[in-house]
Parts: sequence; structure tokens; C-alpha cells
Amino acid sequence: MADEELGPLPAGRHGFSREQVAHNQRERLIAGLATAVAERGYQAVTITHITKEAKVSRRVFYENFDGKEECFLAAFEVVVGHIRELAAEAVEPIPDWPHRAIAASAAVLAFLASEPALARLCLVESQSAGPAIAARFHDAVHEVVPFLEQGRAERDGERELPPTTEESTIGALVMLASRKVAAGETEQLEDLVPDFTEFILAPYLGAEQSARLSRSAAQ
Amino acid sequence: MGTRAILTPVRALPGKASRQPPGPEPVSRAASADDQRRRILEATADLVAEQGYGEATIEQIVRRARVGYATFYKHYADKQEAFLALLDAAVERTAYVVEEAYDREDGPWPDKVGAGLGALLEQVAAHPNVARACLVEAPTAGPEAAARHEAALKRFAPLLRPGRELNPRSDKLPDSLEDTLTGGVLWVINQRLIAGEEAKLRALLPESLEFLLRPYVGEDEAAREAGGRQSASA
Repeated sequence: MADEELGPLPAGRHGFSREQVAHNQRERLIAGLATAVAERGYQAVTITHITKEAKVSRRVFYENFDGKEECFLAAFEVVVGHIRELAAEAVEPIPDWPHRAIAASAAVLAFLASEPALARLCLVESQSAGPAIAARFHDAVHEVVPFLEQGRAERDGERELPPTTEESTIGALVMLASRKVAAGETEQLEDLVPDFTEFILAPYLGAEQSARLSRSAAQ
Repeated sequence: MGTRAILTPVRALPGKASRQPPGPEPVSRAASADDQRRRILEATADLVAEQGYGEATIEQIVRRARVGYATFYKHYADKQEAFLALLDAAVERTAYVVEEAYDREDGPWPDKVGAGLGALLEQVAAHPNVARACLVEAPTAGPEAAARHEAALKRFAPLLRPGRELNPRSDKLPDSLEDTLTGGVLWVINQRLIAGEEAKLRALLPESLEFLLRPYVGEDEAAREAGGRQSASA
């Protein structure tokens, strides 16, 4: 996995910092793409922008990647891998599913809010970077579905929720987050933690208990 | 081709009058200009749906639409302008159809939402290429298209907001609820369009209706309402 080679992502508002993150050329190119995309948007970025940021030659770029799309995909995987790790760390010490869901939401939204450039790469630019990346984006979002489905065990009564409940829930939240990021309101994502968690928990715990748990966790 | 029906009635909609050529014109010429525009937008929808906005070219559009370059440029300055015209026409038409179904339903609010959602799914299922172009591709087709896509999503919020009156905790519902719910329904529609599963779109009605109603009326009533739709559509 590329994220293991890269180690943890640095704090700060400008995406990857080459000095902290990258030593070899591939990593420098991934970091260079993230910086260039943050500045110009994926569509406008050229290989020259990336190699200039990375301070490597064009030849080195093509030794590592077929083109811009493959380089973007590598950067996307690094960020998604990091988010996956953050969520796993956040839920690890917590025994019950509702609080695990709250902790994971809080960790992911805090990361996105603190890294607007990476949030944009992940949630907005990924949707304009061609069909292969758009498909990868949808797969990454759907990784969350089995975790949400664990909430079904919390329900009282016999009735089964409709099969698309989790797909609708995660889709709703990802679209809301993407729209915030696209509108330049990335910092506000952290304020949305109680709304997000209430929305996630409600089908399983009911409206009142979800609201109570989400608000008390936020304090 | 499937896009004809969604584009033809748009000319009659309010706000589209400015698209007509100014001044009196022989009927046949105006009609043929309309026909050219319709063919161009039809071809744009098909090509954008098939290969993505970035890959579609004007050369392909004129060939598919069976018009000359001069005709294309008489109506649209570039690919983006044609795509934005497609987006505007499809959004107007869809909003019109959904709002009309919602208004025409005389029953209580959950029935109105069911009617509007049914009309939306019907519209998307009947015109999957237009839907793919406008829902899947528009957010990625430049800032202007993304802004119009965002504005289009917001049009559904006023249809959902009256549900707050049915909820005893309505003051505690998040401001973002209507946008969130709209996003969830559209996400699932997008997934089916991306997977080429447009045949499954109409069957989403009961599940998506339950998803939309639950935060306002609770699970029991939402499920009852959705169950009614299921037996009605079965």
C-alpha cells in the first residue's frame, strides 16, 4: 500500500509537505500532484505542473505513472488509506456500535476540516478526474456500508430496514460534505459532527436516542 | 434515442421564451431552428452520457445530431454552452414534472412526496442518458455546470420542508436535513445510472420514500406509506 510507504500525513493547510512526507521520487510526484490540484483543479493540471512541484524530470514521471490520471489515483488511495486508518484507530478502544459510529465520524470530519486541499482532492476533484477515478471514489464510499449495517443489530422489533438504507445514508452524507467542500466551507465540516452522527444513528436507535447520544458526545 | 420527449416540451415552459429568436419569423424556420437545437442537445446528452463530458467533442456532436458546424455555432458558442443549455432544459422539465405531480396529489404531505418522487424516478428511468449527463457528469463539467447542478438539487428542499410541521421535535431538526435527504436519494439514483441499471430505478420508490419520510413522521408511518407504494407498483 502506498500509504504505508508515505507514513502519516502532516498537519497543515497545504496538503502534503514534501520535506515531511516524501523521500523518493514517486512520493514526491504524488505530493506534487496534490499541491498542483489544490492550486489549479484536476482538469487544469498538467504533467509539467506536477513535475515542477515535485522537482523531478518528465522522464521520472513517466517511469512511475502512465499519466496524470494514474498519479491522481495514487494520491487518492493515499488519502483514502489515511482516512481508513484514522477511522479504525478512533473506533478501536470503543465497545459499542453507536459510540464507534460517533467516534469514526468525528475523526474523519476533523481530518477533512483540517486538510481542505486533501478534502477537495478526495471529495470534489475525484469526481471530475475521469470515469476510473469516479468509480474508485464510489467504491471507497461504499466501504462504509458494512460498518453502518452493524447498526441493524441495535434495532428493536422484527421489521427489517430497506436494503438501500445504508447506501442512502452514506451517499447523503458524502454528498453533503462534498457540497460544503465545493462551496469553500470545508472548515464547517467539524461543526456538522452532531448532525452527521444523528443522521447515521437514527434508523437504528430512533430519533430521540440518536439526538441525545450525538449531542452529548459533542460536548 | 430516448431524449426527444424530455427536450421537446421545454420550449413551452416559463422562462424559456428568451430562447426563441427575437421578432416574428416564418413558422417553418423557427420550427426548424428548434428542431436543430433539440437534435444538438439530444446528441450532447448521448455523447456526454456515453463517454463523459471531457471526452465528448463538437465534431462528434454535429455528426450525431446530423447538423453542420455552422448550425452548431449559430446556436451555441462551444461545447460548454450546449451542455449548459441541455442542463437547463432537463432541470426545468424535471422540476416541472416533479412539482406538478406533488401539487396534483390532494392527499396528505407523505402522499405528495410519494407522487413527486415517483415522477422523478419515472423521468430518470425514461431518459437515462439525459439523467447521466445531468446528474453524474454535471458536477464535474466545470464551475458553471457544477453551480447549476447545486442549484437544481436545492429545488427539492421546499417540497420536503412542510414535513417539519408533522414532527413534534421539528425545532431540533438540523437545517441541512432537506439537502441531506435529497443527496441520499440522488446518490442511489446515480449509483444505478453509473452501473447501467436503469431498469431498477422505478423499484427504488418504496425504499427511497421511506428514507425521505422517516425523519419527519417516524419509521412506522414512513414504512406504512412506503408499503402502500410497494403494493401499488407491484
